[in-house]
Amino acid sequence: MTAPALQQPSSQQTPPGAEAPRALPPPPPAPPGAPSHRLRFAVGVLVASLVVTGLSWMLLSRARAGAALALEERKATVATLALADLVVRAGGSGDGVRQALAAWQQQAPAGAQAKVIAFDGLSLEAATDAGLGAPRRLQRDEKPLYDQGQRLRAAVETNREESVVRKEEVEIAAQPDGSLLLAAPVELDGQVRGMVEVRTPRVVVAPSPSSGSAGLALLLPLVAFFALALVLGERRVGLALAATFALALGVGFYAWHSVSVVVEDRRAASEEVADSVRTQAETARELISRLGLPADPPVVASSWDADAFRKPRGWLTAAGQVDAGVLAGRLAQASGDVVRALVAVALLALLLLQAIGLGSVGALGRTLVTHRRAYAYVAPALVGMLVLVFFPFFYGITLSFTDSNLLNTSRPLTELWVGLKNYVDILSDFDLSRTSADGARVANYTNFYWTLGVTVVWTVTNVVIGVSVGLLLALVLNTRGLALRPVYRVLLILPWAMPNYITSLIWRGMFHQQFGVVNHVLALFGGEPVSWFETPFTSFLTALTTNGWLSFPFMMVVSLGALQSIPVELYEAARVDGASRWQQFRAITLPSLKPALVPAVILSVVWTFNQFNVIYLVTAGEPGGSTEILITQSYKFAFEKYRYGYAAAYSTVIFGILLVYGVFQNRVTKATEAV
Amino acid sequence: MLRSIAKLLCLTTLFALPALGAEAKKLVVWHAYRAEEKAAFEKVVAAFNQQNAAKGLQVESLAVPYDAFADKISAAVPRGKGPDVFIYAQDRLGGWIEAGNTVEPIDFFLDDATKSRFLPTTMEAMVYRGTTYGLPLNYKVLAMIFNKKLVAKPPKTTGELVKVAKGLTDPATGRFGFAYNYGDFYYHSALLNGFGGRVFENGSTPVLNAPENVKSIELLMKWARKDNVLPKEPSVAVITSLFSAGKAAIVFSGPWFLGEIAKDIDWGLAPLPTIDEAGGKPMRPWITVEGVYVAAPSKNKDAAFEFARYLTDVPAAKVLALEGRQSPANKKVYEDPKVAADPVLKVFRQQVEVAVPMPNVPEMSMMWSPATNAMNAITKGSTSPKAALDKAQEALAKDVASLRKK
Repeated sequence: MTAPALQQPSSQQTPPGAEAPRALPPPPPAPPGAPSHRLRFAVGVLVASLVVTGLSWMLLSRARAGAALALEERKATVATLALADLVVRAGGSGDGVRQALAAWQQQAPAGAQAKVIAFDGLSLEAATDAGLGAPRRLQRDEKPLYDQGQRLRAAVETNREESVVRKEEVEIAAQPDGSLLLAAPVELDGQVRGMVEVRTPRVVVAPSPSSGSAGLALLLPLVAFFALALVLGERRVGLALAATFALALGVGFYAWHSVSVVVEDRRAASEEVADSVRTQAETARELISRLGLPADPPVVASSWDADAFRKPRGWLTAAGQVDAGVLAGRLAQASGDVVRALVAVALLALLLLQAIGLGSVGALGRTLVTHRRAYAYVAPALVGMLVLVFFPFFYGITLSFTDSNLLNTSRPLTELWVGLKNYVDILSDFDLSRTSADGARVANYTNFYWTLGVTVVWTVTNVVIGVSVGLLLALVLNTRGLALRPVYRVLLILPWAMPNYITSLIWRGMFHQQFGVVNHVLALFGGEPVSWFETPFTSFLTALTTNGWLSFPFMMVVSLGALQSIPVELYEAARVDGASRWQQFRAITLPSLKPALVPAVILSVVWTFNQFNVIYLVTAGEPGGSTEILITQSYKFAFEKYRYGYAAAYSTVIFGILLVYGVFQNRVTKATEAV
Repeated sequence: MLRSIAKLLCLTTLFALPALGAEAKKLVVWHAYRAEEKAAFEKVVAAFNQQNAAKGLQVESLAVPYDAFADKISAAVPRGKGPDVFIYAQDRLGGWIEAGNTVEPIDFFLDDATKSRFLPTTMEAMVYRGTTYGLPLNYKVLAMIFNKKLVAKPPKTTGELVKVAKGLTDPATGRFGFAYNYGDFYYHSALLNGFGGRVFENGSTPVLNAPENVKSIELLMKWARKDNVLPKEPSVAVITSLFSAGKAAIVFSGPWFLGEIAKDIDWGLAPLPTIDEAGGKPMRPWITVEGVYVAAPSKNKDAAFEFARYLTDVPAAKVLALEGRQSPANKKVYEDPKVAADPVLKVFRQQVEVAVPMPNVPEMSMMWSPATNAMNAITKGSTSPKAALDKAQEALAKDVASLRKK
């Protein structure tokens, strides 16, 4: 670093008073020699069309590749389920299975391989690869095969037991060499007794979408914009509209192109599947009659075109023809998806276009260059914040829109998307109480609004207690000439110095009905022992006491510090004027404390609102979850009920509440600063 | 000069070490044992290492704090960062299996000889949806602990129990014939299963309000309210201090309780009594089984399974029982004269015969909160057992259903 470079920030030369507003100098509106509006918008249109065409080309090619893979998977599933059907008819094991497999192989595409496993005796019953020497016992390195079979068995049983189909009964895995490996259960008399495994030949990669139409989609807006710009001249609003129109033109063209490509792909794919289903069905029927396998139940080939849960997809009629009505519906859905994706991309590009065209990107770039040193210094902290704060935060928010829970964490979040459902569930549930079996009204303690009410009451009471006790003790400690003041001060700060979970556990013990010290003291004065955790009110009191004990030292320290900074002369003057003690307190002490107390109260509100430890350890929500506050409730949703998505939504709502409070607090703080 | 030689030496050793390590297979095992249990476990590991030194197989044991153990496994193992073998109770097993890529199924390795060497109940705890996932190592089960000074002969039936307890109870001075943490559903399981009750049916369909469950709680309430032999608001701390002060004559608790008893108390251990009210059927507490699991992403699964088999074999089990003071799941070890002569191990061994494995379905962890709420409402007398269990069942069924959505 050279010395002149260090002196670059101009604020050093400016007078101190002007420093704060100069932190981010606004870029001059139109410096001489700045690019014209036309040029800026032209660049904007170019960049935006590049972005929109590039992104949609990528989306389209991915959609095509995905559709091609899905087609291969469907065809492979048909082949696998057809084989499984034959194996079941052949009894799951024995020579019949080997004959069925041999016949199946003849009609299967070249290079397709299959194995049949029977769980009894861990046996490899049949394999297309003669080198494997079936039938024989499975070897140790074939353990994954056996485990996979057991997994399928467990999946089938689970789905049946829970009558909710959520476990895959056909496993499809893409292999590194580009082939697909499928496994399906062999079900005999309602029990999974074996498995078939099919390996397809290499899957052909889907063709990339044509670059011609992409180029056209790129050129079209540019040409349109140049033509319009020639007419419009240097008018900003007109240019902005023209640029938007040009972009829309390009997007519209590419959307039309993408929809026609996707629809054509889908139509061809369903024909292809229908073909393969018919071929498989023919082979199966021929085989059944040739090998004398049981023909009952009849072969329903269309059911082989099934999803991973072995549920027929419903695209085909029982005869194996494409169902035109269903196909039309699915095609409409697919084109709707394409259009939606493109609109999203277009909106993003439009934002970029206007940002460039209206000059904000240029301004941003200039700021970055001017303050590059500052940004360089901030960068490491920014990265840290990004990884440690913003990523978890946004991940949590994303999670709140899903139905993620313990049983589906392995699936991608996009599959679990439920939109605003969690929020609606939380916020629209006004079921505050219900009638119990014996006719009495019982409060519904898991209701959000109940918990919110408890949390608000909890926060307000705690802060009131903390402030009043803290202030009172501070006033006492501030008495002039008090002996042993340091000793008292240390003693009173002790509750704060102890780890609060220890304090909480001790208080919980003290509230024990039979052996707790609180009830012993009550008994000393002739009272009846109270079962503290039995009613919501007394249970709430125990938590309140504990938190009051924990929170007054902080308020006391803050108040004491502020008290000691009040000049003694003020009181002397007041006394000379004949003010009473109360008047002195109202007119001198309280106003002087305000700047110190208000921030302390604000902080304390946030802490108490999210005071997890005390509630969790002292009342644990007893009785029946009535003393739960929002943060402990959300913990229960996440770690006892394993509803991660719901708990994330709950936490986001808590965040929202605190955010609103934070904005409000900012106003109040500014108001106090002004005083 | 000297320094550069030292540097050179360091460098050469650095290069030499991985070369050596590549030859030797190294397994990492995570456990949550402490104190004497840890010492015994490490002794067994050392013996295994000595035996397998020639094969180049070494096991390294790592004690992970119990509180963090399950979460660490859930986070590390599926990402391939965890141990090869780990030891934990069966209650988290279902959750790990549902999450996937955590616990390796071992049916394929498991021969009948290995299977038959365990107490059947403990083996059952390792099975989830028909597949075996671990070898049982130790188990923990409730039994009856009594103060020999106050109770000469441990009661064999609940009738005797109440009779003995009534004679020793005086709530005014805080003396109880009989005390246990009955508000905790885990402790209540002994009565619950004794009556033929259950929490889940057909895998994981909740049935908290089964009629047998209601009956078991009604008996408990009779003890607490009518016979007045149980303390109010029980907790582990209260029960421990009562027993240690000689103020509770009989306690139902597990092996963890034995270490907490004051030195001057002369205590004995006996199986839980049979239930007269259930036609003389025995109390059947939930048993928790510590299983040895092979991590699914482990690169040495065969070796890991061999180690698991060694850990659960008789010589290892003997060390764990006699030095670690644990109850091995291997039944052959109880034929050893030293183990057979141990009164504590003997009683737990008897108790396990009638015990029921605690369900290992992931839905289990959702059961605790509604069940505890119900028990609290019942024991405080604010609700009838039936109504409280109905409410708990409703809450649990709702939670389970919300988890099952596709």
